[in-house]
Amino acid sequence: MASWLSNGIRLPLMLGAAALIAYALFFAGSYDLRVLTICGIYALLVLGFQFVFGHAGAVSLAQATFFGIGGYITGILATRFGFPFLATFPLSIAGPALLAVIIAVPVLKLEDHYFSLATLGIGLVVLLLAIQWSDVTGGTNGLAGIPAIELPGLTIADRRSVLWFVWAIVAIGCLLAYQLTRGLRGHAYHLMRENLEAASSLGLNIAELRFGTFVLSAAYGGAAGALMAHVIHVVSPENLDLALMVTCLTMTVIGGRTRIAGAILGATLIVYLREWFRVLENYYMIAYGTAALAVLIAAPYGLVGAIERLRVVLFGEIRPALPPAASPLTLGGGHKLAQASAEPLLAVDGIALAFGGVKALDGVSLSCDQGEIIGLIGPNGSGKTTLLNVISGLASCQRGSVTFLGSDITRAPAYAIARLGIARTFQHIHLVDDLCVLDNIAVARAGVDSGGLLQAIGTIGRDRRLEDARGIAFAAAERLGIADVAMEACGRLPYGTRRRVEVARALATTPRLLLLDEPAAGLNEQEQKDLANRIRSFAAEGITVLVVEHNLVFLAALAERLICLDRGKVIASGLPEAVRREPAVIEAYLGLEAGVTELALAGPS
Amino acid sequence: MSELLNIEGLSVAYGQVYALRDVSISVSAGEAVALVGANGAGKSTLFKSIVGFLRPRGGRLHFLDNDMTGVSPERRARLGLGYAPEGRRVFPGMTVRENLEVAVFAGKAEREHRLRRAFALFPQLAERQTQLAWQLSGGQQQMLAIGRALMGRPRLLLLDEPSLGLSPKLADEVLAAVRVIVQDGTAVLLAEQNVRKALTYCERAYVLEIGKVVLSGATSALRDTEEIRRAYLGD
Amino acid sequence: MTLLQLAINGVALGAAYALIALGFVFIVNATGAVNFAHGDLVMAGGYVAVGLGAMAPLPMLVLLPLVAAIMFALGVAMSLVAYFPLINRPPSTVFISTLLIGIVLQNVFLVLFGPQAHAAPPLIQSGILHIGPIEISIQALGTLAVAGALIALQYLVFTHTQIGRRLRATAQDRQMAQAIGIRVHAVVAATFGFGTALAGIAGVLLANQFFVYPTGGIPLSVYAYIAVVIGGWGSIAGAVIGAMMISLFQVVVSAYVSYAVATGLLYVALLLVFFFRPQGIFGELVRRRV
Repeated sequence: MASWLSNGIRLPLMLGAAALIAYALFFAGSYDLRVLTICGIYALLVLGFQFVFGHAGAVSLAQATFFGIGGYITGILATRFGFPFLATFPLSIAGPALLAVIIAVPVLKLEDHYFSLATLGIGLVVLLLAIQWSDVTGGTNGLAGIPAIELPGLTIADRRSVLWFVWAIVAIGCLLAYQLTRGLRGHAYHLMRENLEAASSLGLNIAELRFGTFVLSAAYGGAAGALMAHVIHVVSPENLDLALMVTCLTMTVIGGRTRIAGAILGATLIVYLREWFRVLENYYMIAYGTAALAVLIAAPYGLVGAIERLRVVLFGEIRPALPPAASPLTLGGGHKLAQASAEPLLAVDGIALAFGGVKALDGVSLSCDQGEIIGLIGPNGSGKTTLLNVISGLASCQRGSVTFLGSDITRAPAYAIARLGIARTFQHIHLVDDLCVLDNIAVARAGVDSGGLLQAIGTIGRDRRLEDARGIAFAAAERLGIADVAMEACGRLPYGTRRRVEVARALATTPRLLLLDEPAAGLNEQEQKDLANRIRSFAAEGITVLVVEHNLVFLAALAERLICLDRGKVIASGLPEAVRREPAVIEAYLGLEAGVTELALAGPS
Repeated sequence: MSELLNIEGLSVAYGQVYALRDVSISVSAGEAVALVGANGAGKSTLFKSIVGFLRPRGGRLHFLDNDMTGVSPERRARLGLGYAPEGRRVFPGMTVRENLEVAVFAGKAEREHRLRRAFALFPQLAERQTQLAWQLSGGQQQMLAIGRALMGRPRLLLLDEPSLGLSPKLADEVLAAVRVIVQDGTAVLLAEQNVRKALTYCERAYVLEIGKVVLSGATSALRDTEEIRRAYLGD
Repeated sequence: MTLLQLAINGVALGAAYALIALGFVFIVNATGAVNFAHGDLVMAGGYVAVGLGAMAPLPMLVLLPLVAAIMFALGVAMSLVAYFPLINRPPSTVFISTLLIGIVLQNVFLVLFGPQAHAAPPLIQSGILHIGPIEISIQALGTLAVAGALIALQYLVFTHTQIGRRLRATAQDRQMAQAIGIRVHAVVAATFGFGTALAGIAGVLLANQFFVYPTGGIPLSVYAYIAVVIGGWGSIAGAVIGAMMISLFQVVVSAYVSYAVATGLLYVALLLVFFFRPQGIFGELVRRRV
């Protein structure tokens, strides 16, 4: 218990929660109970919003709309048709969720600003409907007389009972949110926010992840709206409008975008800020807006983040314990070199891609057999990275085809290609600095090892999926020689180590083909030799490796074949010795006289 | 000869990772100095520190005898520091002419005068005055970037990897301008991956390897195969 | 009402909307920030006109430069509070800070002027001109003239002056703008100033016929946002055309159905534009397979 409490900021949060509970039990008057209840309802709204805004990183402006729709469904069904709570509540959740499902597909494809505006547009249309369709919705006045919550055999009418009931639902919401954002899933969201390309190339289906968060946010919003209807007994267009959306955004940003405690803290603080400033009468909204702005500027990670930083400053960091034993890491999909197949593993045929007037790739063809190590060289701007992007699905070629394991993957999305068995690293390393090395590598399993939402909810206590992923991650870390720093946060590691984390992450997807983009850049000679040895060991176990590199010394001992690109075309291909001697290659790439080249590339004597 | 740029013991880090360690270089008026090294050696990091986009962890950076600590990039530019970055970075939505004009802080007559000089240096730009910059080829964009950097009549021009993505012939065309630029009164510090080209057009050179200066001297001396091989390709 | 009359009314309104969208897109281009308080700044301009009109009974055309100057200062002040402190944060943070400033502004209006609607004095004078079968108010003519002049002025400044070139350069590549000597922070603050001044002037133009009230800015912020999206994010010509389309749509459609339904149809039309041409009318399609 003590160790659980001392983790992070759980202790101050528990104390705060205990204080609030004590207050509610012993000191709160009737009005205060109502205020605390409203805090709970908003906390639920913000919890939902955190899925789409915090975890998926998308500024949805429809959260208040979902809230309002939930309230209206409850209001209409309860007052006009006399439906009981046990019917209206689920429907108030399902309604917004259904709307979210319908609009998700077109809306989630939109970029940033367009996405926000689309959600805003939908919200405004619904608002107009609520005002105009007065027969059903009661128009500007809304619907009054919404009854108290009635469960079979129990009416929850007095303020104290309502308070407990609402917060009980909030507690369930928190638990659900915890289950759905813990472990691998949470890390996957984090990586997705950090860099979409890295996430997709690990097999994460971004569209699917975003869809899930959007629907969840709608469901939570609807639940909160339904509760609000029962608590204040009225639902009106005010429950849907932009002012509420601004409040929701403010609460989330001030509390902390991804922290469950932040939802509660943010909601409670804003509600109470309004209460305290009410004293100022006419000036209270001005004071509240200014105060909220001040917190926004001063606390970039929200108040929960600020408290955590304070804790680190005061008490220092706690290093978590090392994970349990590693699972064995079977590379190359278990296929050994002996099983040479007639068809090449990867066949690239006549790829052409132009940006504006620049031909990045102009008819490139190559093929790789299983277990080969192939070096792709060429001067800067020759198209090497672009070629990797086309193969891995991050760029579309305009002509040509890519075939992997016999299937055409030319138009396949990046995440699907990753799941088929192609993994890659990038020129610029994209790791999640806040996460430890092990978890950064473990994210790789989130893409290839898909577990659904339902499975996530059902995980109680030990997170087996995370443990398995960490086991494989640890094995990958050992293969790259970084097991000793497994629990260090990535942000503080030297460049060479970070590079190895990235390779380990790609390795952890147990790929058939590994695309490495300048893995030796920034590494000193010792590190380069080490990396080359490790890559050779992967290939020996059946992984095919395509390495893009400038550094010929690094490639010299490593690659079995070299392919040289220059301005989008293959200008040489074959055994390293032969390619190195080609005048075209020397001219284009090395810029040294032929004699020097031979001497230089003789390598360490 | 006066020293335009004097850097001593410069260290630059990204978080915990040191990109430059204890680097000392200098450039004097009338010189073309080369900065060579492999990808990731720290050439661009050094340039960004000189221009003012990165704050160094340690060391001194003096330009025209003034300490540049805390001086903003725009102020450094106005003092006479020109910068043609890696990747060109011309203003894409503006025409060739506008790209050049915007870099001048002087009256209209002076502006026209400098435009004529830029077009004299790079006739291809004159032919395409009214074209939008994003439509130009790589080589033309490189010329534009250099022209733009020169419009402020800088005392020192930082040229970052001009031969990137260019054919050898085109790279030679661009780099030949370096001699003219120096003759016209602007010293040049040239960062290049292509060792041979860099040594051809400059009098002195520094060799960077993973953030450190491992070799420096006159290019005539450095052309010696043994030295470059050891420092550039490792032993 | 004939279609021609409706079209003329639409264009007159559209001229004011175009100013609003123009100011909005300036700020978007220079900072990447969506200023959701922009509509409230339009109201601010209207309120300044109301206040000045009460103090000095002059035609608004004379007081327009003063309003512009006051609004410019307000814009610079806003950049210091809502933008510069948040320059290293994710862009959504600036969005939220502008929302909060919007709330503060709306309530300042409420406190200073009360909840009722106010009208500002006319540009020149009230009255309606009859030109053949067409009726057009003098205010509308004045609006067209002022807005047209400002848009033309903006175009000239942007394309023919050094200041204009520097504004564009800063918007296209802020770092390189610094590297050639442009004082980018001043430029960004000035852009906020100009954008706000344009909003304020639009407010003066609108406040005579359409009144100002504390929450009147909210739909205008939405319209500006829509105009810029329809026209293509960041395109200046697109913003102006988008604004014109919105007002024509509103005016023409609401002659046949209620105003509320017309507004609803506008949003639906917006959503349709999204789904069929997500980059807007002038925007560029970003090819992403992720």
